[in-house]
Amino acid sequence: MVRQLGEETVILDLASGTYFGLDPVGTSIWQLMESGKTLREVCDSMMKDYEVSREDIERDVLTLATNLRERGLIETA
Amino acid sequence: MPCPRHSQGFSFNRSSAPTALKSADPTPHVQFRLGEARRQVAPRAPLLRDWTLAGNMPWAQIYRTHDGYLLRFADLADFEISCDAGVVQSWPAPGVPFVDIEHLFLNQVLPLALSKRGRLVFHASAVEIDGVAVAFMAESGRGKSTLAASFATSGSRFLTDNGLFVETAHGETTVLPGHPSIRLWADSEGALVQAPARKAPPLGFSSKSRFLTGDQIAYCDTPRRLERILFLGAGEINAVTIEEVPRAVAFVELARHSFLLDAKAPEVLASHFDGISRLARLPICFRLDFPRRFEELPAVREAIVACLASRS
Repeated sequence: MVRQLGEETVILDLASGTYFGLDPVGTSIWQLMESGKTLREVCDSMMKDYEVSREDIERDVLTLATNLRERGLIETA
Repeated sequence: MPCPRHSQGFSFNRSSAPTALKSADPTPHVQFRLGEARRQVAPRAPLLRDWTLAGNMPWAQIYRTHDGYLLRFADLADFEISCDAGVVQSWPAPGVPFVDIEHLFLNQVLPLALSKRGRLVFHASAVEIDGVAVAFMAESGRGKSTLAASFATSGSRFLTDNGLFVETAHGETTVLPGHPSIRLWADSEGALVQAPARKAPPLGFSSKSRFLTGDQIAYCDTPRRLERILFLGAGEINAVTIEEVPRAVAFVELARHSFLLDAKAPEVLASHFDGISRLARLPICFRLDFPRRFEELPAVREAIVACLASRS
């Protein structure tokens, strides 16, 4: 279950009963992934909104995606 | 046998029922039963979780039984909660008086049982200011009861001292009145209450005094719209401060201070998550901190009233 609280997001994993929080950047990444974008497309979108290097964007997106997948909150297609 | 009912939705099955219960909801949500005293033996059920207080002090254990839950307060009482939390059967330990059982049920067991029945309950006190509810939320020892008593002895009324029952209906969030008593340590009692004051019989496991409502301590027995939730800081500060908290921070604090019997029950957890999220989205959550000196309480009350007045 996912609920947005202002610029941040809280995710409840019902299976484990654990809450996860996403800061505003994490929320943006999550929303892009939720809309069906590939990780490459997520990075492309993030590049338009954030003035950081492509390398930094890719690292942050991949780190978040890996964390979410390890916790069973997302699945890779 | 008459069953006195409480505004928070339970009934007692005992002839000499506790005093000061008000009749409100005609349908009891949780039925309480008092059993005979019995020795506590090791439960044949898996431990769901340990319940600890501030400082990791052991308080109780919750077990998952084949037909519900067992809540054990060591050397005090066992409470068997039915699977749907509609019935609570208590078994006092030998020598434990009913006043202790009643207190444990009202302040600890009932909030957990109601959480299993989809109600939102928090470890918080609340007062009525200008016709609306202001809640004080924190772990034990941070001053929730002292703040409530400070208002209740200064022209306002308190709604609850320990269990904060929150309901949302038709777009409005309200606080239900709790048990009409406030528990205070001796130093707060000395600062706020003038003798003689109406007291309930003392508890065997706590040295706090329980003050009943009366001339000195004013009580609000009607639900009030919730307008402020104030999370109490640690008091390591020189002046009163009140700051709005971000919604995500509010969510964490609300989750921390909520009663939840079974975090493994998906439907209950989902409902709990929804309820806390809804509350966290409201522009009513603030952090209050102040020096823990009794002479500061008038200034604290003033700051809280000003914070309330700032609402749009």
